[in-house]
Formats: sequence, structure tokens, C-alpha cells
Amino acid sequence: MTNIIEVNKVSKQFNHREILKEVSFTIKEGTINGLLGPNGAGKTTIIRLLNGVIEAANGTMKVMDFDPQLYGDEIRKRVGIVTESASLYHDMTAWDNLVFFSKIYGRHDKKRITHLLEQFDMLSFKDQLVGSFSTGMKKRISLAKALLHNPRILFLDEPTNGLDPEGINEVIRYLHKVNQEEGVTILICSHVLHQLETICDSYLFLNEGSIVEKGTKKELEDKYLKKVVLDIETGLSPLNNQNYKGYTYRRKKSNQLEFILSSKDEITPLLAHILSESWIHNCEITNRSLEALYFHIRGGKEVE
Amino acid sequence: MNKNSILTIAVKDMKAVFSSKKVWVPMIIVALIICILVPSCIAFFGLQFDLIGTSTQEIEKPINAFIKEFPNEEMRNTLAALPTLSYKFVYFFLTLMMIPFFLMVAIINSMVTSSNSFVGEKERNTLETLLFAPLSIKDLFLGKVLASLIPTLGISFAAFIISFIVVNVITYPHFKVILFFNTTWMILMFWVIPILVLFNIILNVFISAKVKTFQEAQQFGGLLVLPIVGIIISQASGMFFLSPLTLFIIGAALLLGNFFLIKLVTKFSNRNTLFQSQIH
Repeated sequence: MTNIIEVNKVSKQFNHREILKEVSFTIKEGTINGLLGPNGAGKTTIIRLLNGVIEAANGTMKVMDFDPQLYGDEIRKRVGIVTESASLYHDMTAWDNLVFFSKIYGRHDKKRITHLLEQFDMLSFKDQLVGSFSTGMKKRISLAKALLHNPRILFLDEPTNGLDPEGINEVIRYLHKVNQEEGVTILICSHVLHQLETICDSYLFLNEGSIVEKGTKKELEDKYLKKVVLDIETGLSPLNNQNYKGYTYRRKKSNQLEFILSSKDEITPLLAHILSESWIHNCEITNRSLEALYFHIRGGKEVE
Repeated sequence: MNKNSILTIAVKDMKAVFSSKKVWVPMIIVALIICILVPSCIAFFGLQFDLIGTSTQEIEKPINAFIKEFPNEEMRNTLAALPTLSYKFVYFFLTLMMIPFFLMVAIINSMVTSSNSFVGEKERNTLETLLFAPLSIKDLFLGKVLASLIPTLGISFAAFIISFIVVNVITYPHFKVILFFNTTWMILMFWVIPILVLFNIILNVFISAKVKTFQEAQQFGGLLVLPIVGIIISQASGMFFLSPLTLFIIGAALLLGNFFLIKLVTKFSNRNTLFQSQIH
């Protein structure tokens, strides 16, 4: 896979405050990437820089081989963006909003608009004013707007803000579909980590304007997961209340044991031992969630 | 320059103006009252009912003295030749005093639409999306200018045509001349007003792109009405008479101002500065 985005030692100041400090990363074509960090870490600034709407102080960037500072319009023609606020005209219908933006992008195609409205389950609402929509519906129209011109890259800034759990799942499902069916490379900025866990191929962790870690979930686990915490729902009742067959554990509830293992390789033999004596209804590694990794990366500690 | 993008922006903004009664109704009402009702009423009641009358001799003296001193000879002679004080007043009012009124309507209406242009997008959170689109700032500015220019000029010209017909129907039997149909008025309507409106719109759009709220934009834009008030005073007093040449020079100066403003807009409004000053 080729790199569709390359960022090399990019810095940005605003009002004498350093927003980004020598940020470097690459993004491969066709992947879904999470740009994670707390509020004010510089996530939105990175998206703006990559779109060429603001200028960097130092460093170089390439988006689809274009320099955003010199060829911003060429990039903007080929990328779609969903900003934090849905950014639609509330006094216009969903259809009129999409027609307006398709004309602005120079790709007015009624079939494409109808297709996108269908994809996002919004066709029956096309003649209603956007102002009357729920936050979730506005987000869906905003996503449709971002995809009007068949972009190669989709930038999403906090796409799930203000959505209920159902709305969040829908957006995640749509993004996955867009990535799979249209091959769109996606960069999602978010501070709500568990939402991204199921969808992203790799992650960039941003803190106070610097990339503090990057990689796939597997790479991050290999690097940071030094101990495995395994929750097992089982009827097992070992005689020793701290140790079972050499594995350290503690009882969390009457039918729930938490084992501390030194590696994932110990999981299978442990489960085999338990199954020979009792039943198992559930088994889960609890310390490898994106959130757990994130806090340890920020804190600079290994995940225990 | 992308014509389609400019037109798309302009059409979208004009639809927004005409889909909101709160915006277009006051625009029409201002033009209707100031440019049509006021001159028609003055013409009708002044000539039909001789409202000023001949009995009010105490005001006739100073008015005749004013006419005698009037700087423009042609106007002085025409006014002196009219039979009654009412005729003199109606003729004077319609020929001279209506000019600043038309200017004022053009200024007010262009301000309503243009001061909202960028700030309106910002307040609806849509400016960010437009700046993220492959749309040049120049095209965005031109679209916004066009969206204000077309309705403002449309209303001004329509008001002029209606006023021209109604006033002349009332006054022709009395004066035997067609009012509003001379060099001064033609220069005013088709040279000064379009250039003035354009100047006001570019300035307001520029201010709108620089300020943070709609209220600030209105405050700055409101200052532009002041020169018109000055013109009303000067016209009424005869201190500074708007001859065709004066009007032509005012138009030419405003045209120069337009070029200067466009230079200023292109210099200070690149995407980076617009984004950093307006989007947070």
C-alpha cells in the first residue's frame, strides 16, 4: 500500500502558542486511521493543515502528492470533510443542501445524491428542512455531503459528538461501508476511544501538539501489553484463593475470576485446565482496550 | 475565476434573502415608502389640494428669497416661473430632494444583505465548510457581492420605474414636463447608484469577513448612511447642488474607490487569514 498522506516535522503556532511540535506521520491508502488525543491536543489543526486552509510554520506535507500550502484546491477537490458542527444550511432542505455542495465541488450529479441519501437512509427525508433534523440525521447528511464528489480521503473531526449510542453505531457502520465499498482512506479525529476500536486499522496518539505513539492495535499491544488481565466467567472454585495451577487470580464476583498472566500464550492452557474442571461462559482480556492503551501511552507506563 | 461557483453562491444567498419574509419585506417596504409613496403623496396632495396654500404668506417670503439665491440658474428660473408656492415646493422636492432618498434606499438595502454575507455563514457554522471546499476566496467574495448587488439594484430600479410612472401621471398635467427624465436622474440611476451600491456592498462584505458578529457588521455598515444625510442637508439648503457633473464625479470617485477596495480585499483576505480570524 502506498502512502496517501505524508507529514514530516510539521509545526504550527497560533497567537504565540505552539499548537503542533514537529509532527511526523504517514497514512496508507485505503486504511481507516484514528487520530486520538484530548481536547486541545492539535487534532483539528492537523486536519486543517492537511486541507491547506491554514499554513504551517515549518515542515513538509504531502496529500496525494500535493503540497497543501501550494495546491490546496487540488487537495480539497479530492477529499471530503465532516467538521465537528454538521455545517449545513438549516433553512434549506437536505436535497437543496446536497445540490448546493455538489455544485460547489463541480460534481453536480442527481444520481449520486440520490444514491448517497439511500445509503444513509435519508431519502425519505430529502425534502425536509435540515433545521428540523436530529443531530444523527444531520451527521448523516453531512457524511453524504462529504462523499458527493467521490473523494479519495475522508477527514472526520469528532464525527460522533452529540450522537446517542444508536447514532454512533450507525456512523461507524457507514464509515466502514464507505471504506470497504468505495476504498476511501479515512482519518478520524476523536477523543472518544472505544468508538474507534472496532473500525480503525491504525492509530496516531497526539498529546500537547506531539505525536506520542503510532501503530496498529497489534503493534501497540505488543509494545505496551506486558501483562494480560483475563476476566473469566466460570463455575471454578479453586481451593487456594490466590493461585490456581500456578496462575495468580482474584475473585471479582461469585462466578467471575480475574487472572493475571505474563503473556497471551498462557490463555489457552489456562482455559483447558478450567474446562476440565468446570464450565466457562465468558472470557475477556480487559487491559488491552484502546482506552487502557491510550492512558498508559499518555502516562508513559506499560499496561499491567 | 469559476463562474458556476460564483453563481451557485449568489443564487443560494438570494434564495435565502427571498425565502425569509423578515428580510425581503422590510427591503421592499423601505423602497415603497421612500421612493414611491412619499413622492406620489407629495405630488398628489401638493398639487391637488394646494396644501401649502397662498394664505401662508409669512413662509412665502423666505422661500422666494431661497429660490432667488439658488445656485443653479435653470432650476432658479423654472421655480420662479411656477404659479403657486405648492407647485414650487412639489417641483423642487421631486426634482432635487428625491435624489438623496433614492441613494439612501440603495444604501440601506445593500447593507441589509451584504453585512450578513460572511458573518451570516460564520454564525450558521457554514463558513468553515465553504473554506474547506475547492472554492477560491475571490469566487466566494464575488458570489457574495453578486448576491447583494442583484436584489438591491433590482429593487432600486423597480422603485424608480414605478415612481417615474406614478409621479408623472400626477404631475404632467400641471408641469407639462416629464420629471425624473433628465441627465441628472439618468446619471444618478444608471451610474452613481450601481457604483455606490457596489462600493457599499464590497465594503460591507469586507467588513463582514473581518468582524465577529452580525451586530458589529451592522454597526460599521451603518456609518455609510452618514454621507447621504450630508447630501440631504446640502441639497435642501442649496449649499452643494448635485449637478450632472457633480454626480458623474461622485460616481467616478466611487468607482476608483471600488478598485481600491477590491485590491484591499484580495490583499487581506486569503484563506489562511480568513480561517484563523473567523473559525475557532
